[in-house]
Amino acid sequence: MTETFEPKIVAFVCTYCTYAGADLAGTSRMKYASNVRMVRLPCTGRISPMFILKALQKGADGVLVSGCHPGDCHFAQGNYHARRRWTVFRSLLAFTGIPEERIKFSWISAAEGAKFAELINSITDEIRALGPFEQYQELQKVIETQSTY
Amino acid sequence: MGIQEQYRTDAANLLDSGAVKLVIGYGEGSTPERRRPIFIRSAEEVGRLVLDANCIANLSAYLVPEGLLSDGKSVAVFLKPDGIRSVNILAAEAQLNPEQVVILGFNIDAGLANPLPGRKANEFAPLLASLKSAGLSTDLQREADRLEQMTAVERFEYWKEQFSKCIKCYACRQVCPMCYCRRCIVDVNQPQWVNTSSHTLGNFEWNIIRAYHLAGRCVACGGCDRACPVNIPLRLLNHRMSKEALDTFDHFAGESADQKPVLATFRQDDPETFIL
Ligand code: SF4
Ligand code: SF4
Repeated sequence: MTETFEPKIVAFVCTYCTYAGADLAGTSRMKYASNVRMVRLPCTGRISPMFILKALQKGADGVLVSGCHPGDCHFAQGNYHARRRWTVFRSLLAFTGIPEERIKFSWISAAEGAKFAELINSITDEIRALGPFEQYQELQKVIETQSTY
Repeated sequence: MGIQEQYRTDAANLLDSGAVKLVIGYGEGSTPERRRPIFIRSAEEVGRLVLDANCIANLSAYLVPEGLLSDGKSVAVFLKPDGIRSVNILAAEAQLNPEQVVILGFNIDAGLANPLPGRKANEFAPLLASLKSAGLSTDLQREADRLEQMTAVERFEYWKEQFSKCIKCYACRQVCPMCYCRRCIVDVNQPQWVNTSSHTLGNFEWNIIRAYHLAGRCVACGGCDRACPVNIPLRLLNHRMSKEALDTFDHFAGESADQKPVLATFRQDDPETFIL
């Protein structure tokens, strides 16, 4: 039995830009991969790196973090702060062996419904090709199967 | 007069004149090569102070307990350059007023402790600037390079093995001058961000978050690395973060007391190479 693997991707998006962009993709009837689960937040500045770790802990194969382009933040500065944190956090994840290909960052505005749809499709393809993030998920399985924990 | 005698006399004068209410220094430890922090409140006790090449702990962590500096009085503390940097960070993060910290500065060179001129953190600015231009440890960079040449899978296995040893004792956190949060994120349980028991996944999360929260704040005093009872190379994670802060944002932690924390500020033209 060979079923194609369908990755689980969690997208943390800001409500003013990327969420609105996703909305536009939907109302424009653009098709995009259903692998993505969106979590809407007020601003990229509110997207804590803990969210990324939590998504991986709960079995995500990939994570997308996305918000307004620089200069477009509803709160003026949130995405600039977020960008610094992503830069640092991303290099830390890479250094500990969490592949960069699984953790993506993007700027998608409310007008970029097409970019949203394309990005979701391409990320889904890429992560499907990588396969499940077994190395990480195994650690969670150990917890679930060993009652001593 | 040797540095130990000189600093004992300085400490006695500071206490006698009322310039400081307390001197935090080093005393004899449980073995001949160990030193332990001691807290001296009167000039008669300064004979207990020891200063030599074994005095490696960063004593600035003892400045932050709540209430110590709230009476406005000053405290003297023995600090190496890393400790002076952490005083600057604590000042920049509004944890203390650097005017209340009298520094008995020294560095260790070729097995000897040498005095550093200056009493207040800002007087050490030229020294800290020279440390910045000297760059980060090349030894650690070599080790970091070795890891970065591995594939992600191999690197994950390396850290998995290291982190699997962690017993979540949090000694690395307790020893760090910059880990002063009253409620650490790992102690938050609604929501429970980090698995608390010491299985490998929770250890992974804990060690990632510890390193991340010290990005651009770690002064490489090595306290966490020495404190870790299972010898996880925490210095490597710290180093990688310091390198990121320095290379990408030109940020050398603790350069001055008015330096903005690297993750609490930004520039509109910060580099972004990875954002789609
Ligand atoms: S993280 Fe470790 S090396 Fe860095 S300042 Fe804290 S205790 Fe010192
Ligand atoms: S000191 Fe070592 S064993 Fe203890 S919590 Fe830190 S990393 Fe884990």
